[in-house]
Amino acid sequence: MIDKGYINKTAAQSILGRWEARLKLPGLMLLIFTFAFIRDLRLLPFLVLAAALTYSFSGLSLKHLIKRMRMPGFFLVAIALILPFWSGQTILWQLGPLALRLEGLLALLVITVKFFSILILVIALFGTTTLPQMAIALRAIRIPWLITDLLLFTYRYIYQLLSDLNRMRIAARLRGFRANSFNAIKPLAFITGTMLVSSHNQSERVFQAMTLRGYGNTKQPLPIFSPIPADFILLAVYILLSALLILFQFII
Amino acid sequence: MHLPDGIITAPAIIGGYAAAAGITAFSMYKIKKQHINPRNIIPRAALLTAAFFAASLIHIPIPPVSVHLVLSGLMGVMLGWFSFPAIIVGLLLQAVMFQHGGLTTLGINACIMGVPAILAYYIFYIRKKSGQKKPLTHALLAFGASFIAVVLGALMAALLIIFATPAYLDAAAERNAVIALSIAHLPVAIIEGVFTAIVVLFLLKVKPALLECDGQ
Repeated sequence: MIDKGYINKTAAQSILGRWEARLKLPGLMLLIFTFAFIRDLRLLPFLVLAAALTYSFSGLSLKHLIKRMRMPGFFLVAIALILPFWSGQTILWQLGPLALRLEGLLALLVITVKFFSILILVIALFGTTTLPQMAIALRAIRIPWLITDLLLFTYRYIYQLLSDLNRMRIAARLRGFRANSFNAIKPLAFITGTMLVSSHNQSERVFQAMTLRGYGNTKQPLPIFSPIPADFILLAVYILLSALLILFQFII
Repeated sequence: MHLPDGIITAPAIIGGYAAAAGITAFSMYKIKKQHINPRNIIPRAALLTAAFFAASLIHIPIPPVSVHLVLSGLMGVMLGWFSFPAIIVGLLLQAVMFQHGGLTTLGINACIMGVPAILAYYIFYIRKKSGQKKPLTHALLAFGASFIAVVLGALMAALLIIFATPAYLDAAAERNAVIALSIAHLPVAIIEGVFTAIVVLFLLKVKPALLECDGQ
């Protein structure tokens, strides 16, 4: 995954790493959206297979994947608690008012497989693409400049601000501050306010320096687009795969 | 309030992206109207977006648990119409860097956080319309803006989970789930409201210009 602007060497030289970002982003995003549209249980093994194959093209290790596979979010846990017990009519098992229902269980299975398959694709996509490559790809698919400029600038400052925030929290702890009660809200709000003020002061200096270098006065062209035939073949493979899945889901 | 990939139906995903695209276009129109050269404001908006990104990792302790801040209200108060594109960027980076939220649900999540942020901006804007300059007015409006932003966001997320997931619940279960999710977010909304009010009072003393980021 993108980490402080770098991707590892093996990932950069892999099939996905060498794939032109302006074709890779639409190709893999198409597959990700196709996965999101799937409801047919019979297609789930193909989702897992396609995600696993794509990940094997990324040159990223299994250890990297496991590290990036965060615990399912709050909503997924909530759905796992609600769906099997409140959705559907076919009762599989009952204990008092609590009934395990087949339809809810199957819906949960579809959601879980889709969630993890998409996550694997996202990790493969962004583990082999740097943020500047991604911004170029986004601009190529006509995402407004305001979003891409904001994305690049924001990314530029995130690590610095996280480090500033950490330093301020350590300084507060050294002065005896302990965030263990609701009273901590006031010092935490002051820390946030301080960070916002110092960020703003810095942004003014950055903006002046950038203006001197010509930012905002010229329209910057995108780097030359020079794909090789293999880039188009990969795109065609992913379009075909997505089309087949959609065809099976909605027509057959 | 970040809906992950895989749980939302196709029409909701498409609808979410369409709504987010429409609101982004309207935000850009409003930004261009407010600022002569919108590029001038980007470095500042980006730094504030990054600051919000970092601040959202702060956990407020409510023993025995702790809650992390959403900050959509504070973003609306400080960034105005810029808050919607800033939220899209923040959500994209969270999905890419930390796998929080999702890519297919980016449009929906942007609406869940961004629409309340814009509403928060207009609630806080009342102080200018009414000509009130008292710190207490600022604090009350900041509290209200942030409180409403969290409750509205939670309500939108709850409704989406119930009506835009592939499985169907009976009407009573749906109603109970919406009520339960909204009530569960009330303490978070109060904490976020208090937090935003304190930050706004701090900025009012230290750097009031930061509360005029909308260019008005």
